[in-house]
Amino acid sequence: MADKTKLGMEFPPYAYVVEKGKIAEFAMAVSQKESKGQVKPIYVDSEAAKAAGYGDIIPSPTFETCFALWGSEGLMPMLQALGINLGRLLHGEEEFEYLAPIHPGDTMHGRTRVVDMYDKEKKDKPGKVMEFTVIETEVTNQRGEPVIRARTTLVER
Amino acid sequence: MTKAMTFDSINVGDAMPTFTSDPVTRTHIVRYAGASGDFNPLHHDETFVKLFGMPRIISHGMLIMGITGRAVTDWIDDKHLRKFGVRFSGMTEPMDLDDPNSRARATIVVTGKVVEKFEEAGEKRIRCEIQAADALGAVKITGSFVAALP
Repeated sequence: MADKTKLGMEFPPYAYVVEKGKIAEFAMAVSQKESKGQVKPIYVDSEAAKAAGYGDIIPSPTFETCFALWGSEGLMPMLQALGINLGRLLHGEEEFEYLAPIHPGDTMHGRTRVVDMYDKEKKDKPGKVMEFTVIETEVTNQRGEPVIRARTTLVER
Repeated sequence: MTKAMTFDSINVGDAMPTFTSDPVTRTHIVRYAGASGDFNPLHHDETFVKLFGMPRIISHGMLIMGITGRAVTDWIDDKHLRKFGVRFSGMTEPMDLDDPNSRARATIVVTGKVVEKFEEAGEKRIRCEIQAADALGAVKITGSFVAALP
C-alpha cells in the first residue's frame, strides 16, 4: 500500500550523461532488432542524423525512461521509498512532453517528485480500492534548458 | 525515412499507417529490461509471477509504448513530436516459442487517426489518437500524440 505521507516528496536530483551506445541499445530494444544497422539511422548514425536535419543522433521517443531509471537510484529503491507493493503494481499511464532536442554528450538533470496520490473504487469490487501514485520529472540539460517533462501514473490493483 | 509531410496535406480523420510488430518474445523483454533499467522481476522471473498466481511473465508496458512510438515515428519525423501520452489498459504476455497459437496475443498492432488540427506556441500542430492492440483485438494502450508540422 502506497505511503500517502509521501505526497509532495522529491527524490534526490540526478545527473545522467547521454551516451551514443545507450541510445542505440534502447532503439534496438524498442524496435525489436538485433543490430544497429536494422534501426532508424538517426538513432545510431551521426552523419545520417545531420543529413535528416538533426544536430546529431537523437534518442527514440520513450528514452526518458532510460535516464530516469539508470540515472536515478533505480526503480526498486524508488518503489520501496513510496511503500508500493511490487506484487500489486501496474503502470497506469505515461506521458512525455518534448521541449528541446537531446544529443549524445548532453547531461540530463532530472528532478522527480510525487505530485498526486489517490484511491479509486474498483468497478467490479465495491468497497475495494485501487491506489494511484503520480510522479512528475522535469529534465533540463547542461545549459539549463528544459528538454523533457514526464508524468508517470503507478497503480496498485 | 518518412516522406515530407505538411500541415496542409493532413486532414482530420486521416489514418496513420497501420503498424504490426514482431511477436514479443521473452528475449525482446529481457533486452528491453537491460536497455531501460527496469528490472521489475514481473517482466523476467517466472518463479516471481507464480507467487501471484500469474501463469507467465508480462511485458513492460513501456516496451509496448516504445513499439507504439516506433509506429508513430515511422509516420511523423521525430523532430516534429511534441507530446506523446498513453494509458495502459491491458497486459501483454510474450509468445511461448513452443506454442505457435500464442503468436497473435504477442503481436502488437498500432493504429491511429488525426483528430484535431490547431495552432499552439506559434506552431501548426496536429493531435492524433492512437491505439495498440494485439492481433486478437485486445487493447493494450490508448493514447494520443501531438506533432508540429511545417
